Amino acid sequence: MDVITQAITFVFQWQNLAALLAGTTYGIIIGVLPGLGPSAGMALTLPLVLKWHPATALIFMGSLYKCSNYGGSLTAILVNTPGDASNAATILDGYPMCEKGKGGVALGISATAAMVGGTIGMICLIFSAPFLANFALRFGPAEYFLTAILALSIIAAVVQGATIKGLIAAGLGLMLSTVGFDVITGHLRYTFGWEPIEDGIPLIQALVGLFAVTQALVLAESAESISRIGKLAGGFWEGVITYFKYLYAIIRAAAIGLFIGVLPAVGQSSAGLLAWAEAKRESKHPETFGNGEPEGVISSETATNACMPGDLVCTIALGIPGSVGAAIFLGVMIIFGVIPGPLVFKEKADIIYSLFVALTLTSFILFLVGMTVARHLAVVTLLPNEIIVPVILIVSLLGSFAIRNLMADVMLSLGFGVIGYIMLKGGFTPVPLLLGLVLGEMVETNYHRALMISGGSYFIFFSSTISKVLIFLTLLSFVGPYLGPVWKKLTEGEK
Amino acid sequence: MESLKMKEKLKLTEVWFKLVLLVFFGLFFLLAIPYPEKSKQFPQLIAIFSLIMVAISLITDFTRKGKVAEGIADVDDTELKVLDMTTQKTKRKRFYKAWTIILLSTAIGFLGGFLFTTFFIFIGFPLFFGRREKLSKNIFIAVLMTMIIYLSFQWIMGVPLLTGIFWDFS
Repeated sequence: MDVITQAITFVFQWQNLAALLAGTTYGIIIGVLPGLGPSAGMALTLPLVLKWHPATALIFMGSLYKCSNYGGSLTAILVNTPGDASNAATILDGYPMCEKGKGGVALGISATAAMVGGTIGMICLIFSAPFLANFALRFGPAEYFLTAILALSIIAAVVQGATIKGLIAAGLGLMLSTVGFDVITGHLRYTFGWEPIEDGIPLIQALVGLFAVTQALVLAESAESISRIGKLAGGFWEGVITYFKYLYAIIRAAAIGLFIGVLPAVGQSSAGLLAWAEAKRESKHPETFGNGEPEGVISSETATNACMPGDLVCTIALGIPGSVGAAIFLGVMIIFGVIPGPLVFKEKADIIYSLFVALTLTSFILFLVGMTVARHLAVVTLLPNEIIVPVILIVSLLGSFAIRNLMADVMLSLGFGVIGYIMLKGGFTPVPLLLGLVLGEMVETNYHRALMISGGSYFIFFSSTISKVLIFLTLLSFVGPYLGPVWKKLTEGEK
Repeated sequence: MESLKMKEKLKLTEVWFKLVLLVFFGLFFLLAIPYPEKSKQFPQLIAIFSLIMVAISLITDFTRKGKVAEGIADVDDTELKVLDMTTQKTKRKRFYKAWTIILLSTAIGFLGGFLFTTFFIFIGFPLFFGRREKLSKNIFIAVLMTMIIYLSFQWIMGVPLLTGIFWDFS
């Protein structure tokens, strides 16, 4: 309890409150821009906060990560354009509400959902994370190696829906993580004499390239502005009152969000859609869903907001990201020396609990923002691409440059931008690549450590119960996507 | 006819990307051969695994795309194709234009410092993608944004934005 009190005191220091507010505002703006989700937002700002205190920087990043989802729901409701995949379910009923002249009500629901869903999720996270951490103490090098492989395989299988493509991208990330000095032998690998990559491919530059530069290039292809803005009508407070009329729907959606969040790689988009589908299934008037039913917005938004803290549970306690945003956040934590795992709750308790407290506080700030300025922020979507693209490019490339003051880093980011763009055009997602790059060193180091402990015997990877479970889950993630259709065929055959 | 079909398949970015990956992973496997045992073990393992995955993916692509093409062979989609080609052409043109601006600005940045990259990217996009009649307004915005970046990064954070091959004003 002491540690939570200290964390509260720490968060209320002016610089941390300022970071929290900045992260909240920036997160909402990023969320409002379709396509620029939390991943690109964190990539864009990471270089700017590198010299901050780790806790302050993580508070900024955490609130940005959390609030971008809310920003995305604004455009989903107002202009039928989700800011990120996680807001996809919100457009189903949010935009029809707007068409009916109840845009203000929908915005009220969305802001209340951000507060309630986020708070429920954060409270569960604060109390469950240490238990998960204690469990994780049983992990040795072999288990860590297998956990990272599991994370990669699940991300590869789920993020895109095409397992092999995901695995190829993850392989590419792991391969690129071997560039530079080998941490075990000190041997220089694959640098071709180029100094800037001797310490390995720099994560931030790669991240900036894969997400921000790629996004800028995609936007540059289109002549239009990001979006058109609709008229706002209806009252914000009417939305707040409507929200609390559906208590059962709120609890059900929060439970779905938390459960989905804890599952590695399933993510907020699945949580929102599942909660919406479940609300429709249980409704007495399912035909109203998709036509501006407030319960639809309540379910999807509450689940999405409760999912984010669930994402963080696995990310912090086990080092397994629960979503794309969490994967980036994992990278951010590592950059700031907060290595996810069981020991982080003891060694970095101050930072972790400060982050938790800050994120809980963010839920309330989001509500206040929604009440006052949110509807005006949606104007950003009116800006033409020729203005947005250079801003994205300059902010991201400047960040990439400012870390080591090297123009070579700008080239590196542009190179990764090309890779990301080609991957997108080729039907790949760069997320497994980034995760491979983030986890690569951990995978290789634990692989060698495990073999050293066992005297070179590969049996160590199958010896403990945890290892066996992890191997089973990894295999399941490989074959899982194919089991569904096979099962369907079998049952159809029986009929 | 068969060679035409093969050409059509090879046009796809996805196939090309996979072929490049095949070479990339193969090359990384070969380059690791002279490394010490512990240094080459992991990269070679990853390379072999990834090579297998790329090969499976390519085989699946060629077999599946053939089947899909056969299935829709009798559908007349000429209009759609023309429309799609026009959109693709416009997108490609804009993409190359964007890259030209980015690369030229970066090259200028190498010579005079990152601040020049900032200015030329800010002026380049509105000039080549926006309305040229707003030239003076665009120039004003570019200068203003460059100044803001200079003040906040060079003055406050000490990032050397005017350090290039030609001079060093850090």
